[in-house]
Amino acid sequence: MNGTLAIYRKELIQYFRSPIAYFVLAVFLLGTGYFFLYNIFSTGIGTMDETFRNMGILLITLTPLITMRLFCGEYTGRTMELLMTLPLRPWEIVLGKYLGAVTIFLLMTAATGINLVPLYLFGNPETKTILSGYIGFVLMGMACLAVGQFFSSLTHNQIVAALITIPVLLGFWFIGHLQAYQNTPAMRELFGYLSFSLHFSDFIRGLLRSEAAAFYLVVVAIALTLNTSYLQWRR
Amino acid sequence: MIQLESVSKRYGSKTIIHDISFTVAKGEIVGFLGPNGAGKTTTMRVIAGATTPTSGRVTVAGFDMATQNEQAARRLGYLPENPPLYDVLDVTTYLRFVAKVKGVPGSAMRAELDRVVYACRLEAVVTREIYKLSKGYRQRVGLAQALLGNPDVLLLDEPTAGLDPGQIQETREVIRAFGEHGAVLLSTHILPEVTLICKRVAIINGGRLLAIDSPVGLQQASERTNSVILEAGAEAEPLRQELLAVQGVTGVSVTALPGDLVRAECQVEAGSGVEARIARVIATRWSLHRLERQQPTLENVFLRYVTQSTRADRREAA
Repeated sequence: MNGTLAIYRKELIQYFRSPIAYFVLAVFLLGTGYFFLYNIFSTGIGTMDETFRNMGILLITLTPLITMRLFCGEYTGRTMELLMTLPLRPWEIVLGKYLGAVTIFLLMTAATGINLVPLYLFGNPETKTILSGYIGFVLMGMACLAVGQFFSSLTHNQIVAALITIPVLLGFWFIGHLQAYQNTPAMRELFGYLSFSLHFSDFIRGLLRSEAAAFYLVVVAIALTLNTSYLQWRR
Repeated sequence: MIQLESVSKRYGSKTIIHDISFTVAKGEIVGFLGPNGAGKTTTMRVIAGATTPTSGRVTVAGFDMATQNEQAARRLGYLPENPPLYDVLDVTTYLRFVAKVKGVPGSAMRAELDRVVYACRLEAVVTREIYKLSKGYRQRVGLAQALLGNPDVLLLDEPTAGLDPGQIQETREVIRAFGEHGAVLLSTHILPEVTLICKRVAIINGGRLLAIDSPVGLQQASERTNSVILEAGAEAEPLRQELLAVQGVTGVSVTALPGDLVRAECQVEAGSGVEARIARVIATRWSLHRLERQQPTLENVFLRYVTQSTRADRREAA
């Protein structure tokens, strides 16, 4: 656990000493703010529903910017050699890095709370729905980060890692739309179950479904386990 | 402290190191010599646990690398060929990270960092970001990292590469001081370095361990370069006949020099008092101008082993 903590702290320092964290934060806040205003003014309804959906897509495109360097950076900087020979187990490396990425993501998410100020000042939003939307957003973000981190461990090239991560995450996001084209109920169910966006929609509507939460956490568990096994195998 | 038992590493059909066995004891510095691509770095990586051997067993400080990797890693300091540094971190943050992972407790942290910073002469750069450092400093930050946590075993892959002569001297002192109580395996291209600080030398080429002995032992075992060179005022052929008759001389080649002198190079058996016998023989008939025993340099020994093994490999391939 000591190792996890040391890796976690190193990751945070590295994030904040590189321009990427600030760039991602800025783009995310600008994008979220734009979508928020656009949705409020075009519909005239004081909710976050549509904004959450837009934030989801924005998150998917920004995830690789947070995760691509996680392992690629260690490979190209030759520091993986150090991590593999220090008294660290592969899962400690994986978990430390993941928690670092999640922390950055939570900071990004918390910063979007600024949009809620005018919403509460001039509107009458449903706090429960907003809270549930945020919980869903955080869970989905955690799943995206775990997937991105896994792909980062597969290649030395950050661009390649990003270029694999984005389509895979977009696939998970849009797979729900293919539901309508499936002939058998089993396939419809499967496509619906795999969809990042359909599970997220439940949260946005204010439905805190444990299956939906479990789905994202299972994705996290699978991605991090694959990540750990890959590091072990690579040795 | 370090023990390798018939360790091999293959990638697919390519054998990088083949059936290597040797040990490095406590209080011993062993030099690891070999041309580029000989398998030095792979051997180091296998010992450090960066990669697992295809077959064979590695123990570090009594711990099996295959099953007790973590305990072994706690007792091991490793400086890879390219110092593994995080460019955006400053030197202190980097060293603190490594020390934490190595289990240095918070109360001892300050003293431990000061110790390695002093040993590696890093005082001037402790607050500087690593990407701003010169090659020599980067190398020494890498060494400082390896020294953290008081390991029993140091694996150093070309630790003096990129250093200036003064820094090389200082780094050797650090290694020598460590070698008084710990075990060091040191790979290098610089042969004098080996003679200066290593108790024993391992020579590797083509993934095979060719020899392991003390530098002196290796020099004595190398007959080919054991020769006596002399210059005398004599005719070539009679001198050659006379020298061949001397006990202990196994071969003679004679060349004429300007001014009625000849130069003879005698292959001699190691360790015999053959120079005195040669001198006596010549003094009775001719004038002796120079007589000298050629000690084989480690360089010659090294080249002999390496070229022999390369030739053998080619024969095998053919």
